[in-house]
Amino acid sequence: MIEIEDLSLTYGDRRALDGISFRVPAGAVTGFIGENGAGKTSTFRVLTTWLLPDPETQRVIVDGVDLLRDPQTACTRVGVLPEQLALPGELRVAEFLRFRSGIKNVPSRQARAEVSRVLEAVNASDMEQRRIDTLSQGYRQRIGLADALLGDPPVLLLDEPTRGLDPRQISQFRALLDELRGNHTLLLSSHVLGEVEQLCDRICVISKGKIRLEEDRESWTQRLGKAGRWQLELAPSADAKKVTQWLNQQPEVQSVNRDQHHWSIQSDAALGLRIGEKALEEGWVIMELRSEPATLESLFLEWTGSDSVAPVPGGEES
Amino acid sequence: MNRTLILLRRELLSTFVSPVSWIILVLFLLVMGANMYISIVAVGGDLRQLLSSAYGGLVFWFMFLVIPPLVTMRSLAEEHRQGALEVLMVTGISDASVVIAKWAASSIFYFTLWLGLLPLWGVLSLVGEVEPGLLFTTHVGIFFIGSAFCANGILASALTAHPLAAAGLSFTFNIALFMVHFFSNLFRPGEIELLWIEHVSAIHHMVDELTRGILDLRVPVFWFTLILFSLFLATRVLERRRWA
Repeated sequence: MIEIEDLSLTYGDRRALDGISFRVPAGAVTGFIGENGAGKTSTFRVLTTWLLPDPETQRVIVDGVDLLRDPQTACTRVGVLPEQLALPGELRVAEFLRFRSGIKNVPSRQARAEVSRVLEAVNASDMEQRRIDTLSQGYRQRIGLADALLGDPPVLLLDEPTRGLDPRQISQFRALLDELRGNHTLLLSSHVLGEVEQLCDRICVISKGKIRLEEDRESWTQRLGKAGRWQLELAPSADAKKVTQWLNQQPEVQSVNRDQHHWSIQSDAALGLRIGEKALEEGWVIMELRSEPATLESLFLEWTGSDSVAPVPGGEES
Repeated sequence: MNRTLILLRRELLSTFVSPVSWIILVLFLLVMGANMYISIVAVGGDLRQLLSSAYGGLVFWFMFLVIPPLVTMRSLAEEHRQGALEVLMVTGISDASVVIAKWAASSIFYFTLWLGLLPLWGVLSLVGEVEPGLLFTTHVGIFFIGSAFCANGILASALTAHPLAAAGLSFTFNIALFMVHFFSNLFRPGEIELLWIEHVSAIHHMVDELTRGILDLRVPVFWFTLILFSLFLATRVLERRRWA
């Protein structure tokens, strides 16, 4: 579990994190999303103890350990797969992981077994004796994840884990992350919102150093449902003004845009059936009726598009 | 095993599998081997004079001052640039452990270069009289002064993320220590300032003392103190990086 309260970080005179607070429940996969420079990597760097937060930071708890008071212990609870993987190409996979297990204080007697365990966990046991510089990008990423898993840390921080992978490797890597669900608390930073939608139980949106939104899958799925659009085109015989008036009267409709006999309606999924019934009743000839479900990407653009905070429970004030 | 030793072992492994290290080793042996040959000709086969001639000339000082920056320039700078330093430091290993392991690995490699010349002395001892005492004190000097130059290199490598800049900075530190000796020309024998310069002069230590078989304890103590000071500063520089 991760609990952050009023975390601030300043680089020179630039405030990278502006008093952010959020919580990552134990065993959950939380997507940490935001545009470039939003503060994702800075947050990760504080959680790994690479950077020290500003003195006014209230609380940073990692797996029950207060990072501000005991950073040495806190960093042992975190495994990290950085965005910029720097693996020593001249070493064999087993040599590298044995070195890393020693550095991470895994007892030397258990090192061999630990290396086998993590390689098995990332499905790369057959790569044990390969030199790292001969591995494909997908396998290098797996070795990075194996490194993060050494010592079995309860918290895993994954910074853009599928960056640079081909579609097959992405699919395999996602399956791998899915297997880690439940055994570890995962905080996943990604620009690929489809990936976040697919993998994460919760999302946390950060923009310009502030948390814009924090909510679970159920809430954002509901939000996606409400944010969908309908595209409606009727034959010119229909009275356009009357249609617009009727659409605006529907309780689930949030907005209606009309262009001659074409309407774009923001509403939930139930509206389609009602339009069909009304068209039969009024004799409107439907040329096109099409649902356009909202995506996390469209919501993300909405959440991070302005300085204002999304007016939702769980979100932080700006 | 202690984390510092684990890191040292890994650094040595990386150093000795790196082609750059072997290129440095070969070039070093070629240049110093040629220097030895020229020195033998210059001293007319008098092996007692050979040590101060071969290990006191321009070629010796050039190699002595230039090789440490080349050996140390990538140690922290390159790793910081590539992100490897961050991955290493977030494991809870102390800044001091990282600095000590990097310095020890570079010093060991650097000293290995000089040890590579020992077989030449072995061959020479078959045809002439080579004093083991002189060889010992000379190598004590090479070890301490060379290690101090490596410590300067580690400090320079911590100060910048660019290996070439680190090499330049380190060379500047070393050349400053080398040039101190020439301030002695400003003073006359017996003046206290001259004595002070002699205590910190690498040239005085090597040419006037160690290659002549004189081992004054103050010499290793001075260079060891300098090593500790540079490593302390390098540790503080690494620590400062955590303060964004």
